[in-house]
Amino acid sequence: MEFTPHLKRKRSSCKEVLKLAPFPLRDDGQRYKGAFNGLCVEVVDAQHAPIRTLHDNGCYGKGSASRGGPVSGEADETLLLGLEEACLLGYYLGVLEIRDMLGNELSWQAYVQAALDYDRQFIYKLASYLYLKSKNWIIKSGIKFGGDFLIYKQGPRQYHASFLVLVQVSGDAMHTHYVAKNLKGVQRVAETSDKDVLILRLNQLNDDFDPALCTPASLQSLTIEETVIRRFNYTSFVQSKQKQ
Amino acid sequence: MSCAPANVIVIKPKTEYLSAAELIAQRHAEAETPHNGLKRTSIEGSAAEQEELKNAYANLRHRLSARRIERQAGRAIAVWRQDQQAVEVLRKDGKFESFGYSQQGKFYLEYYEALFLLELNRLQLEYCDMIVSVEQAYVLLLGEAASDKYNNYLVYSALSRAGYIVVKHQAACPAAQTTSTSLVTSEDCIWALLEEALGNKPVPAHIKASISYNATQARMAELKQQIISQTSASPDENRMESDLQSNFKFETRKRRAQSEPQEGTASKKANTSSKSLVDNLKAEASYAKFQQIFEKLDIVQLQSADYDSDKDARLRSFKISFDLHMHNDGFRRSAPKAPTFSVVILPPGEPFPTHNEILKCQRQQQLAEHTAPLLIISVSESKQIQAFIYYISC
Repeated sequence: MEFTPHLKRKRSSCKEVLKLAPFPLRDDGQRYKGAFNGLCVEVVDAQHAPIRTLHDNGCYGKGSASRGGPVSGEADETLLLGLEEACLLGYYLGVLEIRDMLGNELSWQAYVQAALDYDRQFIYKLASYLYLKSKNWIIKSGIKFGGDFLIYKQGPRQYHASFLVLVQVSGDAMHTHYVAKNLKGVQRVAETSDKDVLILRLNQLNDDFDPALCTPASLQSLTIEETVIRRFNYTSFVQSKQKQ
Repeated sequence: MSCAPANVIVIKPKTEYLSAAELIAQRHAEAETPHNGLKRTSIEGSAAEQEELKNAYANLRHRLSARRIERQAGRAIAVWRQDQQAVEVLRKDGKFESFGYSQQGKFYLEYYEALFLLELNRLQLEYCDMIVSVEQAYVLLLGEAASDKYNNYLVYSALSRAGYIVVKHQAACPAAQTTSTSLVTSEDCIWALLEEALGNKPVPAHIKASISYNATQARMAELKQQIISQTSASPDENRMESDLQSNFKFETRKRRAQSEPQEGTASKKANTSSKSLVDNLKAEASYAKFQQIFEKLDIVQLQSADYDSDKDARLRSFKISFDLHMHNDGFRRSAPKAPTFSVVILPPGEPFPTHNEILKCQRQQQLAEHTAPLLIISVSESKQIQAFIYYISC
């Protein structure tokens, strides 16, 4: 059976999106300024680098006073970037400057260390994030559906999320994602809004891969396996076949 | 004794007979288990709970031991052979095409088939010249010790009632039809691929093994991509060339080696390059516009297709229990076609198979002549069954 993902357009989709890009690249070399506060990277609005553009081009972050993008109109609204998003913008695209709370610029190494303190699996999630990003998906946090990411075609304003992504690390042989109760639970939640559950499992090609010591390029020693598990209604399948 | 008393003799029958109205009323007695309140998940151990449980069991027993009435006509007769642990059919009644198996001139039923027919009142099972009750049949056929037989029966029964022909999985027979491979044209391959994509029919082994299969598959995938993305053919061809070289090492895979003729390297491409499930947005205009950046981010790769699942000892092996056929597909036991699905039963408490475990199962399946998509059927603790289909990158 061939697999086709659910791509469901939102009804109230606006047309203004056409000129927006998947990456907030800048011609003038100006960088956004973000501060890592232990949970996320907070970007303040600035005249030369408005946070609005960061959100519009690729849907990065969430407004601190809004449900989605920074649209509340409050003067002190900031944009909160997830750890993976900030890492992509800061160290792969180079459009974001990440500082710690004291104002010192964080190197890749220091950032990874700080992120690992917050989330032990940060590197694997980052690898999954990059993997999906390189395939043109818009990626948002999946926490409201009990997963790691939600991925969208074009963006949450145009499409419903197509997948709820769960990241699994190969280290644990029998991961809790595969426990029947958990899998069925997450599946039901995803299914009510026409999403598939996508499990990304990361394998390490060499055993000496150390998340704390990795570099932006050394992620290539990780490989990924994709699994989508769909519930199957065997009764309606047989009935639809009999009608033919 | 010749001079019998002149009084009237009253015959008292040992058995009581029901009136016609009673017969009809008892034939279709419907019973529902009482529902009381929310589902509770932990045991309290209180006296009130004990009492409630006792009542619930008594009620259940009462329901189950109620007399049921069925017609006696239309039953096949079978006998339980204790020494062989098998059900031998003595007299068939009705259609038996999708049931049973023959051995040494005798016709036998599998335990789940016998129980299913018994529950449908199409079989009269006898043991020691007595008719076996449904309750006794459960013990005889499923055994008293806990086993996976009950799960198998549940799945068999549910799928049969849903309208599938459920037969025991035909084990792998490596004898492939090597002779017919030369007769397969690329046209056959196209039809087989179309049927696979649209009609959910697996590609027959002899077509898969043919020389033109892989080339046709690659060409069709390429054309499909072109239609989706509306691009010209030339960049695709370049990419194919480079893929070709990087994937060349996968040539050595042992799968289907015995029946595989020598083939050109071009035909290998589609079969061995890794296939992702979420690649479809690459055809978008925004991807082409920012292609360089997207490619820069393409650091983590999909697990390559030459991953050898047989060597990984940590992987569990899943057994395929049943094959499913459709009623209107012209199923015949004597000439089995490729099934619509193969069923793997997941007992309660068993975690779902992972990517590589499914891959392992599929590869073992490919040794057989007929392959079908796997249906994972999970039996929950409360004996509810639910089916799942896996889609994996490979």
